[in-house]
Amino acid sequence: MQLHFSQEIENLKTSLIKMASIVDEQVDKVITSLNTGDVELCKGIKSKDIEIDRYDNLIQTQCENILALFHPVASDLRLVMSAIMINNNLERCGDIAVNISQRIKKAGNERSLISESQIIDMARIAQEMLKNSIDSFIKNDTELASKVITSDEKVDKLNKQIFNFLVSRMQSNNELIEACTHLVVMSRHIERMADHATNIAENLVFYVDAQIIAHRKKLERNGN
Amino acid sequence: MIENHKIVVENLNLYYGKKKALNNVSIEIPSNKVTALIGPSGCGKSTFLRALNRMNDLIDGVKIEGKVLLDELDIYNKNIDVVELRKKVGMIFQKSNPFPKSIYENVAFGPKINGITDKKKLDEIVETSLLRSALWDEVKDDLNKNGLSLSGGQQQRLCIARALAVDPEILLMDEPASALDPISTTKVEDLIFELKKNYTIIIVTHNMQQAARVSDYTAFFYMGKLIEFGETNKIFTSPSNKQTEDYIRGRFG
Repeated sequence: MQLHFSQEIENLKTSLIKMASIVDEQVDKVITSLNTGDVELCKGIKSKDIEIDRYDNLIQTQCENILALFHPVASDLRLVMSAIMINNNLERCGDIAVNISQRIKKAGNERSLISESQIIDMARIAQEMLKNSIDSFIKNDTELASKVITSDEKVDKLNKQIFNFLVSRMQSNNELIEACTHLVVMSRHIERMADHATNIAENLVFYVDAQIIAHRKKLERNGN
Repeated sequence: MIENHKIVVENLNLYYGKKKALNNVSIEIPSNKVTALIGPSGCGKSTFLRALNRMNDLIDGVKIEGKVLLDELDIYNKNIDVVELRKKVGMIFQKSNPFPKSIYENVAFGPKINGITDKKKLDEIVETSLLRSALWDEVKDDLNKNGLSLSGGQQQRLCIARALAVDPEILLMDEPASALDPISTTKVEDLIFELKKNYTIIIVTHNMQQAARVSDYTAFFYMGKLIEFGETNKIFTSPSNKQTEDYIRGRFG
């Protein structure tokens, strides 16, 4: 029973790591495309996303089977719960990579607007956060997870700055409205990706330390 | 953490001859809660359970040190009447053991021994006890049927009714559902949940999920020692002790 259980847990971890590496690859392609203006890199992003969706379903089934057949407790239970949450966040990151690639196709040639808006800086931080959140899960590294969580504030701040910058550009030049709107939406997607990386890191902390740290700051601000 | 303690055990050591079966166990068992005792075979959990109503007195060569206070009275004090103690502390065993008598007589047996002869009073005790053990509806028209003719699950609930008939304060249960099918197990577990309103329940179980389902507090024993005691949801989600975690995860024992 114990051997069987360990095997199932190993299979689950392997699926998550495989899925994470595809997500990481997809995100890397779109961010490089954004950075270099090489729109060709965005080709195939959408079709590759189907592989991520397959892993999403597979991992959900694996978690369901482990819960139903082995009734895990303590750290084993936290691992399965975290796997469900991390799976969900990775799948969303995959979708976001597709969304970003679509915006790049529409506004990727607006090089000066892109570089002035700091959107590339934000995308690099978000990508690093996602990479680190995946690494923290692979290595059970809560310190690295904490680093991811701290970085989220930088992304939120940049997102606001980028929004304000793009609005001001739209106000000053009507012809830029369409391109700026695409970039506002893209900026929002990148900000969401950073949120998903943060969620992954929080789930790793839950698995390793049995601490729920999600929403901590917001709850503290509200006196809870 | 725990406001009212029904039983307070202080530095309890128990020896079977030279073998030390319980090693310096101290625990405070809360009133009107279910406390589960878990641990691998031979860890001392059943010995500990039996120490709470002095069942170990019946075994030759048993030596006991330390205190077991029930409502602040030491049950190992020389002046304690063991029969009175066992009226207060009922016990349900792994294998149901009804007397080869009618259902009615099984339940009325204890009260009769305690001197109750009034038929009306006995009828009332039998009905209340069978209602509380969730068996009444199934047997009310057949109270003269032999207790042994009931199904395994019904026999166990009959034994619970028999224990309740003498109006105990504490119920000790030693693997009460391990010989029952899942439906009967659910009935006994539901019953435990209902009974804790009126009784303090201590249950020994090898079934981790059952301990998690039915108990408010869990005590983990290993090699005669109490390793960890705490709220069940804490023990089963994030135990403080590595040995507890290994045991509940099925890593040993």
